[in-house]
Amino acid sequence: MAPDPLIERLVGEFVVEADELVQRITRHVLALERARPGAEPPEGTHEEVARALHTLKGSAATIGLAEMSELAHRMEDAYAPVLAARAAMPSPLADALLGALDASMDWLRARAAGRDGAHDLGARLRQIGAFAPAGQDSLPAASPGAAAGEPEGAPQGASPADDRGGWRVAARHVEALVRELEGLREIRLRVEQRARDVGRALDDLARLGMLAQLAEPRALLLGVRAALARDGTDLGEQLEGLDDAVKAICTVPVRTLLEPLERAVRDACRASGKEAALSLVGGEISLDRRVLEALRGPLVHLVRNAVAHGIEPPEVRRERGKAPAGALVLRVEQQGNVAFLEVADDGAGLDAGRIREAAERRGVASRDEIQRMATDDVVRLVFRSGFTTSETVTEISGRGVGLDVVRAQIQALHGTVDVQSAPRQGTRFLLTVPTDVGTSPVLLVRASGALFGLPMLALEAVVPARSDRLHRGRGHARLEHEGRIVPLFDLGALAGLRQPLPPAEGQPLLVVQARSERAALLVDGILVDRDLAIHPLPAELSTIAAYQGAATLADGELALVLRPEWLVRAERRAEEVALSAKRALVIDDSLTARAMHRAMLEAGGFTVHALASASEAAARLRQATYDVVVCDVAMAGMDGLAFTRLLRDQAETRAVPLVLVSGRDAPGDRASGLAAGADAYISKKDCAAGLLLSEVSAAMARRARG
Amino acid sequence: MNVRDRALPAASPEIADLLRVRAERLRAAPAAGDEEAALWVAEFPVSDERFALPLEALRAVLPISAVTPIPLSPPHVVGVLRYEGGIVSALSLASLLRSRGWRQDPAVVLVVDPGFGRLVALDCEAIPRAVPIAAAAVEAARAAQGGRAAAVEVVTPGNRHPLHVVDLRKLLELRREERHGA
Repeated sequence: MAPDPLIERLVGEFVVEADELVQRITRHVLALERARPGAEPPEGTHEEVARALHTLKGSAATIGLAEMSELAHRMEDAYAPVLAARAAMPSPLADALLGALDASMDWLRARAAGRDGAHDLGARLRQIGAFAPAGQDSLPAASPGAAAGEPEGAPQGASPADDRGGWRVAARHVEALVRELEGLREIRLRVEQRARDVGRALDDLARLGMLAQLAEPRALLLGVRAALARDGTDLGEQLEGLDDAVKAICTVPVRTLLEPLERAVRDACRASGKEAALSLVGGEISLDRRVLEALRGPLVHLVRNAVAHGIEPPEVRRERGKAPAGALVLRVEQQGNVAFLEVADDGAGLDAGRIREAAERRGVASRDEIQRMATDDVVRLVFRSGFTTSETVTEISGRGVGLDVVRAQIQALHGTVDVQSAPRQGTRFLLTVPTDVGTSPVLLVRASGALFGLPMLALEAVVPARSDRLHRGRGHARLEHEGRIVPLFDLGALAGLRQPLPPAEGQPLLVVQARSERAALLVDGILVDRDLAIHPLPAELSTIAAYQGAATLADGELALVLRPEWLVRAERRAEEVALSAKRALVIDDSLTARAMHRAMLEAGGFTVHALASASEAAARLRQATYDVVVCDVAMAGMDGLAFTRLLRDQAETRAVPLVLVSGRDAPGDRASGLAAGADAYISKKDCAAGLLLSEVSAAMARRARG
Repeated sequence: MNVRDRALPAASPEIADLLRVRAERLRAAPAAGDEEAALWVAEFPVSDERFALPLEALRAVLPISAVTPIPLSPPHVVGVLRYEGGIVSALSLASLLRSRGWRQDPAVVLVVDPGFGRLVALDCEAIPRAVPIAAAAVEAARAAQGGRAAAVEVVTPGNRHPLHVVDLRKLLELRREERHGA
């Protein structure tokens, strides 16, 4: 009889559901096995196993997969005594359950692929049946209702939402959705711009004294501005929700890898009589689902290898002064569009001598070539295909088992893999994989008006500034933190936005660590921590060592994500910078003008700080001194003429050289500027042709002469 | 029913001049058979000069408020902006063109495709306008000024200022070579 297309489709869809259930059961079985005998397992763990097994049984029965349903039922029987006793899971039972789960999935996948009979569940049924208490080996048919969220005797509280399944969507549709979302963000920015435009029109009416005559249009404009502001807020809230939804579609937390890896470690330990514990650092990072799925195989391979061939037996470890259980660490980090994964063990390390011998014997490399190789290159020979046979594995402590396959899988993802090893200390495999989407936890901070993101992985502590913990030495402030002296930097100054400010009492300081180095950062404010997608910066900016990339916030603002390694090495860079540079303050509400003036003055040897408003500049000049000020004339709020008069009225800024720049270059405009107290007045039409620098130099020279 | 006076209001001499120039330009528009020879460009001012980019390279015109400044960035980079899910550099057009300065502070950025696989944005004093120019005149100017010229001068009917047609890819490559050479 031809297969029913509907059933076939349901079987195909059930693979996804069953896979999730099996992962859930596996995770909890491992937790129950780890629980100490006599101790209470983590709350809810037993209920989760029972519920998931029951759902697996019911769902399989619903679509006619009687063999699989039967095996799940036997698993329930075998598990029933442990459940009833709320006890830890004995390892033999855990072996049987995990083996049965694996066999179920192999059978199901073969069935979905139309390869009926490729796997036989009979042996597993007998094996698991041996654990069932007497009298519980009958097999009542699972009712279809069990799959529909009506558990028969299973613990209550199952979340139907967990079992609703999902859709398979082509990547291009999701990418289109991301683009649409970006388009919406731009619309939101435009709405906000319109609101500002209306505000400016209202300001113009007020300035021209036309409010009385135009009361009705003014009221209308006020209404439009308020409505635009509301629309902007509503749009922002919608965007935030959409952002979260898209993130959930495209990415998955790294911690979901933990279950298969723990399982691999556990199985390898059982098979070899060794002990090992796996820990995960960076599990909260979310990566592209496709990348993470593709990484699962190589990572399972690496941790299994680490146990089988890297971690020593408990007695050897004791002799070497190590804990009997080996430590395995998977560390995950995302920088821009690159994910870094490190699998490290504290085992015996790779034996370079034996690798040399094996490589020569296997013909992987010539004797001359091997002899010329540095040790680091020798250990990399484990990635060559000649090291993949089991014979070779045995000869070289097995650390080459299938590593060429791992390398090929990582290369298929356009990534790289490397290895570092130290005898008796352990081995580290370093995987680098590009990923288009993904999120990392980032702390958002402000410094000198700019928004920065700091990867949470690099954040060691946030401490309030206290004068008894702050020291000054060799020109740099230092912070005493947990018995260490760490250099303290003002982030605004590091970013070239201002002169370094001393911390105020109680001001938050961020202690950052990277590659065993530490630094403390002074910031103006800590905003919030967020899981953000970090995009790489464009090519023109990729050489700036300070940033990993940039992240878009829900309101459309871009945050520059700092590179922790750059922060902790700031002291070395500061020592290289000449301290004699002249300082210029540029004030212009035009982004372009600030950039251009900065470029021209920096070319003339100035250290330049730029601000967008005269009021900010007035505040800055109360904190810092500059050798020259370059100021735009036409600015919103306080204009350049008013700012010039303000400076000339104050004793401490009266003698500061000040050059006005303006798009207006009529003789009257120039006369007004000079009358306000400016030392020079130049047109923006000419200021890019070297005129700014020459006027600035001339103004400084005149002031110096008095 | 409201009836509106459809007569044109009296135009100022400047507006009348502008309308006359536009009318002349329309009269000079290529005939149907010559349309293939017309190159549509986006024309914009930089200080007192007129520049243009092929219209097909222009992707969007966005307010400059969309640009986020980047501390520590190279001098020719004004900042970055988000566009269609990616991050695009905003470059200073006056800096790229080695202009003496600018008349108005740029109000918009042009998102353009220079033809090397990624977009860039250029700050611009005003929203560009689409105008057709004779493709043959551009080719002739390129031939006369050498193949490596990043911008060629083209004289357009009805305007005494030449139009500088920019080959953005060449311009960016030229500036990159200069920076690396420096």
